[in-house]
Formats: sequence, C-alpha cells, structure tokens
Amino acid sequence: MEKFTVELLVENKYGVLNRITALYAKRGYNIDSLYVHATEDASLSRMLITSTGDDYIRIQMVKQISKLYDVRQVILMTEVKIKI
Amino acid sequence: MKLSGAEIVIRQLEAHGVTTVFGYPGGAVLTLYDELYKASDRIHHVLTAHEQGAAHAADGYARVTGKTGVVIATSGPGATNLVTGIANAYLDSVPMVAITGNVAVPMLGRDSFQEVNIAGITNSIVKHNYVVRDIEELEETLREAFYIASSGRCGPVLVDIPKNIQSEKCEYAGKSPIPATNTPCVFDIAEIADIIARSERPLIYAGGGVIASGAQDKLLELSEKLAAPVGLSLMGLGALSSDYPLNLGLKGMHGGYASNMAAAECDLLIAAGTRFSDRATGDVGEYEKSKTIIHIDIDNAEISKNVSSNIEICGDVKDVLTQLIPKVQAKSHEKWTTRITELVKEQKKQEQGYAVPEAFSPKNIIEAVCNNFDEDTVVATDVGQHQMWTAQYYKLRKPRTLLTSGGLGAMGYGLGAAIGGCFARNKGRTVLITGDGSFGMNLNELATAVTNKLPIVIIILNNQTLGLPYQWQSMFYEQRYSQSIMNRKTDFAALAQAFGARGHRIENLKSLKEVLENLSDGIPTVIDCPIGGDELVLPMIPPGGSIKDMVVGG
Repeated sequence: MEKFTVELLVENKYGVLNRITALYAKRGYNIDSLYVHATEDASLSRMLITSTGDDYIRIQMVKQISKLYDVRQVILMTEVKIKI
Repeated sequence: MKLSGAEIVIRQLEAHGVTTVFGYPGGAVLTLYDELYKASDRIHHVLTAHEQGAAHAADGYARVTGKTGVVIATSGPGATNLVTGIANAYLDSVPMVAITGNVAVPMLGRDSFQEVNIAGITNSIVKHNYVVRDIEELEETLREAFYIASSGRCGPVLVDIPKNIQSEKCEYAGKSPIPATNTPCVFDIAEIADIIARSERPLIYAGGGVIASGAQDKLLELSEKLAAPVGLSLMGLGALSSDYPLNLGLKGMHGGYASNMAAAECDLLIAAGTRFSDRATGDVGEYEKSKTIIHIDIDNAEISKNVSSNIEICGDVKDVLTQLIPKVQAKSHEKWTTRITELVKEQKKQEQGYAVPEAFSPKNIIEAVCNNFDEDTVVATDVGQHQMWTAQYYKLRKPRTLLTSGGLGAMGYGLGAAIGGCFARNKGRTVLITGDGSFGMNLNELATAVTNKLPIVIIILNNQTLGLPYQWQSMFYEQRYSQSIMNRKTDFAALAQAFGARGHRIENLKSLKEVLENLSDGIPTVIDCPIGGDELVLPMIPPGGSIKDMVVGG
C-alpha cells in the first residue's frame, strides 16, 4: 500500500467535491490530504487528492472518478511528478 | 418564445420522443402536472399506487422498448419512494430520467415541508443528477439528462426541479436532443484473433450489455463461427434463443450444470457486456484459474474490477463484435463440442430429478406458463426462488422479453415492471411470475393494472415462506428458519377480486392450463399456485464458492 495522488480538473460548482469524496467513501478509502483551488478559468477547479492504496485501488479510483460528469480530466500523479 | 419551466419539461419530453410517463402527483409538482393535463393527448401519464411502482414501471418500459423510461414524483416522500427504483435501474444499467419536484429555491435547505435533498440521497445510485436552481438552465439540463441516461453504459439520471422553477418563465430555444456519439472502438484485432485461433476450449459469457447494444445477432454469429458455447448472466438472458443448441443458459450461483462446468473447463473466456457479478463468478481466484479472459465492456471501470482479465477491450459490444467477427477464423474442436454435449446431457438428467412429471412443482408450472405464450410475450419476475426458477426454465427466445431485478435484487420489482412492460407492448398480454413474499411487497399496483385494463397474468409460486432465505437457512444455518416462514392467511384469489381483477387458486397442472387457455382480455388475472415449502433452487454454488462446491441434489 502506497500513497497516491490524483490531480483533477473539475467543474467549479457546488456538489462536485461531494460526488468525488463519495467515491472514496464508497470503497472505504481514507483521504489523507485534499487541496482544492479555482483556476485561471473561472468555470474550473483543480483538486489534488492523496490517498493510500495498491495498484488495484489506484486504477479503480481513476476509472471511477473519470466517469463523473463534472470531472474534465484525471491524472494519476507519480512520486516524481509530485516532487517537482 | 417564453415558456414556463413546466412547459419546457413537456417540450423536452416530446423532443425526446417520450409518449408514456409514470408517476404520482403531489404539492411540489402540481404546476408540472397542470401542463401534463394540457398535454395529455401527446403524453400519456400512468398514475401508479406508489412512487416505487412508478419507478419500476418506467424501468420495465425502458427495458422492453430500449427507450429512456421517465418517472415523475413530488418532493420529500415522493422522491424518497423512488430510491429503490432508481437504484434498481442503476445496477441493471437501465436508461431512466427521474423528475422530482422540490420546494421553491428560497425554501431549500430549511427543512421545509416535504423537503429532502434528493440529489444528495441519490448521488451514489445515479449516473448523474441535477438540482435546477435557475430556470435558464432547465432546457440544457433536460437535454443532458436524456443524453447521459441513454449514452455509454445506460442508467438513471435525476432532475430535481424546485416548484418556483416550474412556474417561472424564460426564453425556450427548442434545441433538438444531443446526438449519440459513436466513436468506433480501437483495439488489437489481430492479437485477439490469434488468441481465439489458439484456443481449444472457448466459451462466450454474455451479459446485459449485449442486449443494451443490440448485439444479439453478432453474438450468435460469433458463437456459430467459433463453435463456442455461450453462458449467460441473468441480465443476458434472452440475448440468445433458448432453442439455440450452444446456448447453455444461465451461468453462476443458480446457473445450469453445463454452463458452470464449461466456465471451469474452458481455456478461453470471451466475456461480452457483463460485469462479472459475484453471483456469476463465486470464488474469483478459482474462477480466473487456467484460462485466458477477454473482457469486452462499454464501462472501463468494470474491466478488471471484479475479475482480472488478460485482454481488456473498452467499447460497445456490437461495435467490437462487428469489427472482430470478420477477422477471426472459423473453428471446430470436436473434443470440446463432445464434452459440451455430455455436460448438457448430464444437466437434463439432473433436471429430471428436480420435478416429478405432472407434479405441481415450480419447474412444471413455469414450463406450462411458458408454453402457453408466444415468444414476444414479456415476462417479469420478482426476486427469490421463483426468479431463479424462471431464469432456469422459462424458454426465452428474444431479447428484451425478461424483466428481472438482477443487480439490486429488489423484491417488489415485478408488478411495477410488468405494468411498464405491458404499456411498452401496447397493453398486450404480459406475464409476472412472483412469489408470495415478493408479491406482498408491492401488490398495491394491482389497482394500477385494473384501472388501466392491463391483461397481466400474475403467477404466484406460493410456498408460504421467504424461499431463498429459507433455502439458505436449510443449507447453511442448520435449519434454523429465522423469520422465513410466513404462514400468512392471505387469500390471493379473493384479494385479486377485491382489487377488481380475476383471481384463482389452482392446485394442479390441468387446472392451470385451463385457466391459462381461458384468460380474459383487458383485466389482470392472479393465479395463486401453492407449492411445497421445501422446494430448492438447484443446482447451487454456495456464495463465494467455486464449481467444486456445487450442490446438485435432485
């Protein structure tokens, strides 16, 4: 089990964070850290969510989050990328 | 042109080809119902006895027609009563748009009368949901809702429309529906053709995705070309005619001996439009053993979720099979074909042990019912033993003729679904096979069937127990029948008559056939069939077990 971070670009509106965190809750994965901010495009927010899990969990979370209609982009960050 | 929110809803329903909706009025949707009244020549609203029945009816209607089902309910209890129906549509990937009213926007969040946050409640059981807080967003929201419900992997979308939004006005653009996108799936066809060419014992495992994408002809073509037998998931039943010799029928916990043995013995499993539910696989470790798995599904998140596959193809089943079939070589494999024939013969022998000829047993009753109706007749079930017996013994010959709650396993689904299915067939003969437990959950919808003159034939396999819990307690809980023996005194024939339907209590096959041959049009008929309380659904692979644990009995 390793820490993993997903970077999301999402619609900047109410209820979106709720939909995303609900997916973590549904599978029982704790969110270790969460960072949300508006972007230069007022209609979008960026999120960084760090959680803990194995390959199966990482891939499942990315796939499940990708299905949400308020989510524009999902990137699974690597250790290296986070350090940069 | 300025239109009110309620008028926009009607216009959008019409734009999406909706002619029948199911629902139940209430304070927060009266403005919408006023417009429905005015549009009653174009949109037929079916009033049910309970919102849950309406949701199941919209689901049944959608499964039979392939169109998006629409259900309407008021705020608060109206909305919460939809929840089971929405969850059911979500787990079985049924296209549905649920429209709820809510208190006016300024009253939201104040715990107003009949207010619930239905968007919050349904978050995890919808593809998407909306609360329309601004009339300007209503048209676009409804277009998106219909698009999302019916695109990709289908499912329910909820649109919550506060009361003031229904009466406020705004400019209506009158845009047409969002067109479906059909991007062809890109995958390594040569690699897959090669894997198929090398396999000696191929098995196709087909699910509801085949029916949803209309790929039944392609499935048959692939099976014939590869001489590959086919096992079906519960949702896949009807994708192939039960007359087709290589159709091994239901696979999984209560699947047939042949399909489960074939799944254990195959060296290549081509899974098409299925999500490998735990009821279909049992012990996943055993299931994955010594075979190559090709998984085709439109939902990427289903691939390698429950079973890890060797080849992952995310795409529409019909599109994938259409591309694949011309590139695979026709196959024959005598040893495997012989083995399959042996397995089928063994299964037939076992089945004979489950029912004495002419006995008033579940198998014989279901076969008598099946033989009485043509292949286009829609058959609905509830959930429990009768559902599994129907899946095993009712000879389905066409897709979209079985309405059953697969993923959610919701008792009480059947009557509402049968009503929806009956409307989808222009009030043609429709069958519901149910149990005394399930029927007891939502029998209020008999009133709906009577009012609408629906010729639904309701067969109650009445064993005075909650059959599946009873069976599990018998097999795994040392016969401690905790709360599974009902011993109710309900007279279902008299109950049917009280609702204005026909009712019969039948105790042998001869009388059953007589009643079935003399059904009246324009009225539902309830046929109460008492069966033994100790009838088991067999074979059975215990939960989490594998083929080695299969209980054949008989």
